[in-house]
Amino acid sequence: MIRAGRKSRGAVERTLESFVDAMEHAFYSEQIAKEKGLLQKFDPRLKILAILPLIVIAALARRLSVIAALFVFALVVAMLSKVPLSTLAKRVWLGVLAFTGIISFPALFLTPGRVVFSLPLVGWIVTEQGLRAAAYLILRAETAATFSVLFVLCTPWNKVLKALRVLRVPLVLVVILGMTYRYIFLLLRNAHDMFTSRRSRMVGRLDGRQQRRAATASAGVLMSKTMQLSADVYMAMRSRGFQGEVYALDDFRTAWFDWAILGLFIMVAAAALWWGR
Amino acid sequence: MHIPDGYLSPSTCAVLYGIAIPFWYGAFARVKRLLNTRLVPLLAVASAFCFVIMMFNVPLPGGTTGHAVGVGAAAVVLGPWASMLSVSIALLIQAIFFGDGGITTFGANCFNMAIAGSLVAHFVYRATAGRSAIPSSRRVAAAALAGYAAINVSALLTACELGIQPLFFKDASGTPLYAPYAPHIAIPAMMLGHLTFAGMAELFVSGGVVAYLQKTNPALLGQKPSASKAQAYFPTGGGWKATRPLWIRVALLMLLTPIGILAAGTAWGEWGARDFSDPQMRQQIAAASGNVAPPSTQPVGLARLSSLWAAPFPQYAPPFVRHPAFGYVMSAMFGTGLILGAFLLLAWITAGGRPSDASQASP
Amino acid sequence: MTVPVYEVRDVTYRYHEVTALNGLNLTIMQGQRIALLGANGSGKSTLLSMLDGLCFPEKGSIAFQGEPLTESRLNGEVEYAFRRRVALVFQNPDVQLFNPTVFDEIAFGPLQLQWPGEEIRSRVNEMLEQMEIVHLKERSPHQLSTGEKKRVALASVLILDPEVLLLDEPTAALDPKSESQMIDFLVGCSGGRKTVVTATHDLDLIEDIADHCHVFQRGQVVASGTPSEILNDQQLLLSTNLIHAHRHAHGSGEMHSHPHRHGHGH
Repeated sequence: MIRAGRKSRGAVERTLESFVDAMEHAFYSEQIAKEKGLLQKFDPRLKILAILPLIVIAALARRLSVIAALFVFALVVAMLSKVPLSTLAKRVWLGVLAFTGIISFPALFLTPGRVVFSLPLVGWIVTEQGLRAAAYLILRAETAATFSVLFVLCTPWNKVLKALRVLRVPLVLVVILGMTYRYIFLLLRNAHDMFTSRRSRMVGRLDGRQQRRAATASAGVLMSKTMQLSADVYMAMRSRGFQGEVYALDDFRTAWFDWAILGLFIMVAAAALWWGR
Repeated sequence: MHIPDGYLSPSTCAVLYGIAIPFWYGAFARVKRLLNTRLVPLLAVASAFCFVIMMFNVPLPGGTTGHAVGVGAAAVVLGPWASMLSVSIALLIQAIFFGDGGITTFGANCFNMAIAGSLVAHFVYRATAGRSAIPSSRRVAAAALAGYAAINVSALLTACELGIQPLFFKDASGTPLYAPYAPHIAIPAMMLGHLTFAGMAELFVSGGVVAYLQKTNPALLGQKPSASKAQAYFPTGGGWKATRPLWIRVALLMLLTPIGILAAGTAWGEWGARDFSDPQMRQQIAAASGNVAPPSTQPVGLARLSSLWAAPFPQYAPPFVRHPAFGYVMSAMFGTGLILGAFLLLAWITAGGRPSDASQASP
Repeated sequence: MTVPVYEVRDVTYRYHEVTALNGLNLTIMQGQRIALLGANGSGKSTLLSMLDGLCFPEKGSIAFQGEPLTESRLNGEVEYAFRRRVALVFQNPDVQLFNPTVFDEIAFGPLQLQWPGEEIRSRVNEMLEQMEIVHLKERSPHQLSTGEKKRVALASVLILDPEVLLLDEPTAALDPKSESQMIDFLVGCSGGRKTVVTATHDLDLIEDIADHCHVFQRGQVVASGTPSEILNDQQLLLSTNLIHAHRHAHGSGEMHSHPHRHGHGH
C-alpha cells in the first residue's frame, strides 16, 4: 500500500503508525455504518449479491465507457448513502491512483501500437494502445475498489462477515473470520504497546541491525502471545459449552425495499454486462 | 504482491480460484482432523497474527524497509496446511476491510502467497533443516531460507500471471485489457524487488521468529505431536533428507543445460518437416548421416504428423525470451517442475490423500 | 448428610515443570461463598480451571456433586449438563470475549446448548437490562473498557443460570466504580442457592464477599477459616505474601515499616 506524505524516522515509528492507522481506519468505518443512507438500510446479504456482480463486471468489461458508467453509478450510490466523497477520495481514489498510476505509467511507452505523440527531450513514444491500456487498468481498479469500500463502509463488520454465508461460505469460516477480526485488534494493541515501550527506551535512533532485532523479537513475542491466546480462548470456549460445532442466530430480515434495490442493482449489472461484452 | 481488481482477466481469476478452492478444502479437512475442537480458536488467532505481521516494517540493510507476509514463520510453526488457511484468512480480511488486494483476484493472491508460499516454505525448511537439533542455528537458517524461497516463488507466480495477460487478453485494436506488461518486463520487474527487499524482509522475520522461539518456547518447533499446532501432513523421515543430494545434482544439471548450445551440428533424427526443404539443413543432415543425401521431398508420414502438436516452447525458447541460454535454463526448470509436480500428484493420489504421520491431539 | 458440591482429594498437577497443585485437599458445600486467597502463582487459577473441568489432575481426584470429574466422563450430553451448571469468569476478559459483539457473546452459551432462537433473543435482552449494559449491545469487545468487559463476561455466564460460579480475580484492574458494582453483585449472591468460589489476592474484598477462606501457597492449602480469622493472622498473611511491610509514614510521623495492607479503614 502506498501512503502519501508520511514523514517518519525509522521502521519502528512507521510500523507504529501503520498500527494506529489500522485501528483508526476500522473505527471510522464503523461510524459511517451507523448513518441512515441507502446502503446502510439495505439487507447485508442482498447487498453482497447486489455489489459483487458490479465489482466483477468492472474488472471484466471490455469497454472503457461501460467501466466509467459503473464508476458514476458508484458515485451516485455513495451520495445516496451519505458517504462523503472526500472520504472516498482519501481512502480509495488517491491510493489507487498512486499505486496503479505508477504501475501503469510505463505502459504508455512500452505498449506497441499507433503513435500518438513522442516526448520532446527523451524521444519516448506514447502509443494510443498504451494510453488506453493505462486507462483500462486505472478505471477498473478505481471502480472495483470504490464498490467494495462502499460495501464495507456502510455495513458493520460483523454483518459483513455474517452476510458472506449467502455466498455459501461455510459457517465455521464465518465464525473464524469474526474471531480473527476481533483478535486483530487485541494483537494490534499488544504490538503497539510493545513498540511504544521499545521506543521509550530508545535513545536516538537505533541502527539498522538493532531495529531489525527489535522487529524480529517483537514478532517472536507476538507469536508466543498468539499461541497462548489460542490456548486460553479455547478453554474459554469449552467452558461455555463449545464442543466443536458452530451455531448462529438467524439475524437478517428482508423487506420489499431490499428486493427492490437488489433488482435495481441487478439491472445495472446486466446492462453493463451486455454493453461491455 | 497483492494483486488488485482489474489486473487479471476473468478467466485467469476463475482458473486461480478453481485451483485454490480444492487446496482450501483439503487443508481444512486435514487441519480439522488433527485439531478438532481447537481448530476455531487456533486458526482465528493465527490469522490475526499473520495479519499483524504483514503490517510490520522490517528494517533492511541499506536503510530501506520491507514488508513480510509471514508465510515462512507460519509454515514452520503451524505446518503447511494450517499456514495455508491462516494466511488466506489474513488476506481475506485485508482484501475486504483494508482494500489490500482485489476481490476477483483473491483466489490468485491466495494461490500465490498462501498456498504456494506455504508449500514451498515447508519443503525448503524440511529439506534444509533435516534432523538437526531444535536449538541449532541450522534451523534458523533453514527457516530464513524457507521464507526467502517462498516469497520469491510467490513473486514469480504473480509475475507470470500478470505477464500472460497482455499475451492473451487484448481488444480489437491490440490494447491490453488487463495487466499490460509482457512477461519479459513483468518477471524481471517483480523479481528484482522480491529477490532483494521483500525477500530479505521475509528472511529476517522467518529466521527471527524461529530464533526467538528456540530460546523461549522450543516446544512449538518440536517434531512431537502437539495440539497447539497443526502437524505437517507429508511423509517425514526418509523422503527429503535422503533424496537431497539428488536434488542438488539435478539443480546443477539444470544450470548446465545451455552447454548444449555449444555443440555443433544437429542431433541425428531430430529434424522437423521443413528442414528437408532447407538447403543448409540438408547439408547438416547429410553430414550427420555418413554423407548420405536426405530424400528430396518431405517424408509423407512426417509431413502429416508434424502439424499435430505445436510445442509451447519451440527450440526450447519461449517466445518472449531473447537469450537462448536463458531459454534453455527456463525450459529445464519448467520441465523439471512439471515432472516433479506430476510425481507429487501421483504420490498424493495413491496415498489416498491420507496423512502418513497421523498424530493424536493431546490435551 | 448432603453431598458436597466439590470434593477435592489429594490433587497434584504439574505444568511445564512447575508444580501448580501439590496434594491439595478441599471441600465445598452448596450455597457457600468461598474465597481462595494467595499470591499470584500459588495455584488458585489452576484449581478454578479444574473445578470447571478444563484441566484434570495428574494425581488425586475431584468429585462434583458426588460424581467423579474426569476427562473421559466429560463429553457429549454429560458435558453439556455440566457446562450449564458450572461457570467460570476468567481473569483476562479478552480471552472470554471472543465473539464479534456483546449480543453475540451473551448469546454464545445458549447457542451451544441449542436453545430455540426466540428464547435466546429474549433472554439475552433480559440479561442486558439486568446488568445495565443495553447500550453496549452492538459494540465490539475491543471498544469496551475493562469494567464493561467484565460485566459482559459475567452476563455471558449468568444467562445460563449456573449453580456454581467460579471467579478468577474479578476485581483486578477495575476502576473504583466498576469494582464496587462487582462487589455489590457478589454480596448479593449471599444466602442464595448459588455456590460462589472467588480467587483473589485482594484482602479488602473477602469480608464482604466470602463466608469462608482458604489460603494457598505453592499449590497447597496452608490455612482455612472465616475472613476475620484469616485477616487477624498477620504472620500467616506475611508469610504467604498477601501483605507487605514496606516503609511508609502515618501522616507527618516518622518513616517506619510494619506489616499492613492498603485499603479502606473500617
